[in-house]
Amino acid sequence: MAMSFEWPWQYRFPPFFTLQPNVDTRQKQLAAWCSLVLSFCRLHKQSSMTVMEAQESPLFNNVKLQRSKGHLFLLPDSSLKYLWRKAEGRQQTEGKLPVESIQIVLEELRKKGNLEWLDKSKSSFLIMWRRPEEWGKLIYQWVSRSGQNNSVFTLYELTNGEDTEDEEFHGLDEATLLRALQALQQEHKAEIITVSDGRGVKFF
Amino acid sequence: MHRRGVGAGAIAKKKLAENLRLASRPRDTEFLQLPAKYKERGTVLAEDQLAQMSKQLDMFKTNLEEFASKHKQEIRKNPEFRVQFQDMCATIGVDPLASGKGFWSEMLGVGDFYYELGVQIIEVCLALKHRNGGLITLEELHQQVLKGRGKFAQDVSQDDLIRAIKKLKALGTGFGIIPVGGTYLIQSVPAELNMDHTVVLQLAEKNGYVTVSEIKASLKWETERARQVLEHLLKEGLAWLDLQAPGEAHYWLPALFTDLYSQEITAEEAREALP
Repeated sequence: MAMSFEWPWQYRFPPFFTLQPNVDTRQKQLAAWCSLVLSFCRLHKQSSMTVMEAQESPLFNNVKLQRSKGHLFLLPDSSLKYLWRKAEGRQQTEGKLPVESIQIVLEELRKKGNLEWLDKSKSSFLIMWRRPEEWGKLIYQWVSRSGQNNSVFTLYELTNGEDTEDEEFHGLDEATLLRALQALQQEHKAEIITVSDGRGVKFF
Repeated sequence: MHRRGVGAGAIAKKKLAENLRLASRPRDTEFLQLPAKYKERGTVLAEDQLAQMSKQLDMFKTNLEEFASKHKQEIRKNPEFRVQFQDMCATIGVDPLASGKGFWSEMLGVGDFYYELGVQIIEVCLALKHRNGGLITLEELHQQVLKGRGKFAQDVSQDDLIRAIKKLKALGTGFGIIPVGGTYLIQSVPAELNMDHTVVLQLAEKNGYVTVSEIKASLKWETERARQVLEHLLKEGLAWLDLQAPGEAHYWLPALFTDLYSQEITAEEAREALP
């Protein structure tokens, strides 16, 4: 399902790719970046990424960024488009968030609970558009609703079984699922166990 | 937006003109100013003159009431009519928006219309403040207000918006109107904007951004003066910094970023927008 991703207005706003010096503006900027990262990864079903990948991804790179004011044109086919006159002599039309700023955005996501570093050198990370606690809650709600407390599931059953087809957590990646279950485990609502050929979970 | 046919419009205009003539006949307004001949004779007025004045007053009042009842709907529905009405009022020295109470606002509901519009304007500005720092072009404000009113609401023109904003300004709400490049920027937060800031905003309107070099070249300022203004705009959240632009730092104003509201625009609106 390849939906075309709708970029937020900030993505076309050149200063979005410069870390803002004004504190209040920066807060808004970072919030917008975090939101963009999460919706992008959600749509592309991307649950993990390396920093290198991030740097090259369209997420932090707008190669079509325009630095001149758009003007409205009535095209021959009677459609109306905002078009831009090519900036004379200036070919720089890229918006690229520098890696130091990318790191800051990632740190923000980590603080919010949507990101986890997968290695000590912080070169790759897990990205969760919903925090593990939130996933845990959804899963537990389904378990209770369907009266399956005290049942045992394999991880595969939870995310790929027929019974969960209509659930939001259907198709969830294993890494995120595990963390969701760990969150429930903390609350004594579940226990991660070993089953025949892998891992499973028992709900209370 | 429904436009009247030529025939209906012309007839309505004629009727309006007639009623306005009746309502604002020199005779009627003159006597209200107590003509010289009466003054000469002191404050004692002959009985028949009193009677005449009384009759004229009654007629004036009746005409106004007739005018009001016929055109109340018109005022609410038709922006062109409102402009003409306002112009007429200005000519005879009446400000229909001067006070909430009184003949004009009660009988014609003019006050209500602009009061409600003012509330809507405030709502739109508040909703977008986090994005543009409290500065918005009249065009974008107009689009947003129309969106908020829905398909079946009365039509609202840019002239209406300006009048409503002027009233808001007079009430001390922190609203300001800044002329820029043929249109206006509406300021809805009491950010301290002096002449220097305003003139830089006007300069920025052309491209949506401004640079120190541009300011120095166009306004013949020293670097420091230009820098201070730009720093202030950053501080007020009205401008964002772009360090990836070629040459030097660009200062962009979200309020002037046309891409923000250009997505859905009708053919008619566009035709009006094109030079």
